[in-house]
Order: sequence, then structure tokens, then C-alpha cells
Amino acid sequence: MTSLTERYLEAALRGIPEKQRTDVEGELRSSIADAVEDRAAAGEDRAAAEKAVLEGLGNPVRLASEYAGRPLHLIGPELYLVWRHLLVRLVAIVVPIVLVIQIAAQLYAEAGYADAVITGIGAAIMVGIQLAFWITVVFAFIERADAARDAREQITGASGRWTVEMLPEPAAERPSAGETVGEVLTTLITIGGLLFFRDLGSVTDASGTPIPLFDPGLTTFWFPAFIAILAALAVLQVVVYVSGRWTVPLASGHAALQVAFAVPVVVLALSGSVINPAFAAELGWPPLAEEKGSVMLVLAATVTLVSGWEIIDAFRRARRAHRAAPAHGAASSAS
Amino acid sequence: MIDEELLGSHRQELRRGTVVLACLLALRAPEYGYALLKRLDAGGIPSDANTIYPLLRRLEERGLLESEWNTDDSRPRKFYRTSATGAELAAQLMTDMTELTTSLHALNGGTNR
Repeated sequence: MTSLTERYLEAALRGIPEKQRTDVEGELRSSIADAVEDRAAAGEDRAAAEKAVLEGLGNPVRLASEYAGRPLHLIGPELYLVWRHLLVRLVAIVVPIVLVIQIAAQLYAEAGYADAVITGIGAAIMVGIQLAFWITVVFAFIERADAARDAREQITGASGRWTVEMLPEPAAERPSAGETVGEVLTTLITIGGLLFFRDLGSVTDASGTPIPLFDPGLTTFWFPAFIAILAALAVLQVVVYVSGRWTVPLASGHAALQVAFAVPVVVLALSGSVINPAFAAELGWPPLAEEKGSVMLVLAATVTLVSGWEIIDAFRRARRAHRAAPAHGAASSAS
Repeated sequence: MIDEELLGSHRQELRRGTVVLACLLALRAPEYGYALLKRLDAGGIPSDANTIYPLLRRLEERGLLESEWNTDDSRPRKFYRTSATGAELAAQLMTDMTELTTSLHALNGGTNR
């Protein structure tokens, strides 16, 4: 065959799983040849016939997605509105906060007003882009996880009879896409915030060297651990979403991670090892870095309350999901 | 005067379900992709190549069709044939289709005009 058909086949086969490729290639090749021959036999010019046949098959990418049964879109109609809503809301909240913090930090570092505003806007735009990108990545993943789950259910559903136990969890039990993305982003923003404040460096000593906000012991040893725990929490949220419900093992894992995060934070806060004493001194507010300082007491209390609530909530939802559909868990773990 | 686009989209919707049935009925005699397309076309069920080829593969994956490569001819071709399950399904669908037509005629005024 001529290069046009070869190019078409190459473009189409790129999107087809390896295992099926040889078979689909053979079939498409013979089908195209049959159609071209048929048109040529009717008196049509061969080159024109080939062009018409390929154009009749349409965009090779679309054809490949028909074969593979995969969605072509990044985010489908089911998730689009949730995605847009979350994106607009988060950008509207986070971007102004970043803008204000950056401008304040620049002004504190005695930059001129114009410089402070320009730097602030630059940072706000960067954060906005990052936010939009990561929200979209998480949604695109969920879209594909949903498609895979639907396919699995179709296959398992074909052999067994559908029963009411297979109904999706009620909205309260089933983690929604928006909620999951919200949780994941909160975690990512926390990680980003930790790194952002670690490297802020707008407070400098007499010689102009930036004084870090956090206690040096915290950044060297605890930082990597905290970031790893937060990342694990984000992954766990996605796992919960994909499996469609909280279960007792998932809630237990979640509780372990929350405790692993909260206990060190509370201990560090109470012993005054969070804020760099030099930073507090330079800021003119030494109590910030003191043992059992008021700010650190508030931090410890907040972390305890938030983690405690998250742990209780996860177990509560696991129990409710179990009560709503005890057979469902058994069926899905068996499949 | 009915909008062409509206008519087109509803027609497509109406035909979508019948393409599977048409394939299962036609392939009780083994056939390869392009020849099937021609036969459906001649039989009053015009379909697009880019619908039929992936559809054949999906029906095969679900065990409704069986396939075999035939290398006797000048070029190797994949022949499909309706499986026992597929034939059973087709018979049932055909009954349903007839019932549907009867019901629609009844709704339309009780007579087969």
C-alpha cells in the first residue's frame, strides 16, 4: 500500500493497546484495501479512492478510541461542572490570599510599593496557573478511574444478576469528586505552604542574610517526614474515592497517618521548636518561639481538633457505608 | 418542515440499537468486515465503516461473534461469524423488535397503515 494508508494506520494504531495492535492492523489494512479496490474497480482513480476511503474512516485518533473504548476528553460531562465550580472557587480564594501575603512580605522587606505589587501579582499568577493545572490533573485521573470502574462493573455485571446492593452509596456515604479533589488540594496547598514559608526569606538580619521562619531542627528532620505523610494522605483520599466508600481498614490507615502528623506537630509546638528563635527576635516578638507560647498553644489545639475530627469522621463514614450496604463490600472485594 | 439536523440526530438514535442486531443476523453466514458493510448497505441498513469495525471487535470480545483469519485469498482477511450465544441474542432481539413495531403501530392509531 502507499504511504497515505501507512500513515493512517500508524496514527490509528498508536492509540490501540499493544496486545490488540497486530490484529487490528491486519483487519484495518485489509478493509482499507478492499474498499479502495472496490472503488477502483468502479472506475475511480486509485489515489482519489484511497483518499476517500481514509476520509470515510475519519480521524484516526477517534477510530482508535472507538477500538480501545477510552474517553477522548480530559474531563467528561459528569465532572465538568464540579471541576469548573471548584476551580473558580479555589482560584478566587487562594489567589488573593497569595497576593496579599506576598505584597505584605515584600513591604516588610522594605521593597518599594511598585516592586511589591509587581512581585505580588507575579506570584499570584504563578499560583493560579499551578492550581488550575493540578486541579485538572486530579480530575482527569478521576475521570479515567471512573471509566475503568464502569468497565469493570460492566464485565462483572454481565455474569451476575444486578441486585439493589450494587446501587451506588447514598451521597452522604460516597465520597464525591469535588470533596476528594478538595481534600487532595488542601493537602497539596499545605505542602506548598510549608515550602513557601520555609523559603520566604523576607526577614533578614543586619548583614542582609535571610533568617528562616522555621526552627532549623524542624526543616532538616521533620519537614521531609511531614511532606511524606501529607502526600500519603492525599493518595489515601484518591484510593477512598476510587473504591467508592470508606472502610474500616482505610479509616484505620487514615487515622494512623493523621496521628503520625498531629503528634509531632503538637509536641514540637508545645516545646517551642517550630519557629526559629532568631526569626522571632528579629520580628520583635520573642514569645512566638518560646516554650508554651500562646500562638503555639493555638497551633497545637487547632491541629489536635482538626486531626481528631478527620479521624472520627472517617470512621463514622466507614460505619455508615457498611450499614448501608454490607453485601457490597463483600461483592466488590470478591470481584 | 422538520429541521434536517434534528431529523438526522433522531434517526441516528433510532438506528443505533439496530446495528448490533443487523450484524448478528447478517453474520450467521461468515463474512469479513468490508463485505459485511456492503451487505448491510445493500440490505437497507447503511452504516459507517468506523462504526462497524470497532463494533465487530467489541461483539467478539463479549462472545457474541467468533472470528477466524482466512489466508487463502490474495490478502488475509478476518472473518466473523455469529456465535451460538449471539444467535440466541439475535433471535430474542428480533422478537422484541417485531413487538416494538406492533406496539408503535397500535399507538399510532390501531391499524397497520
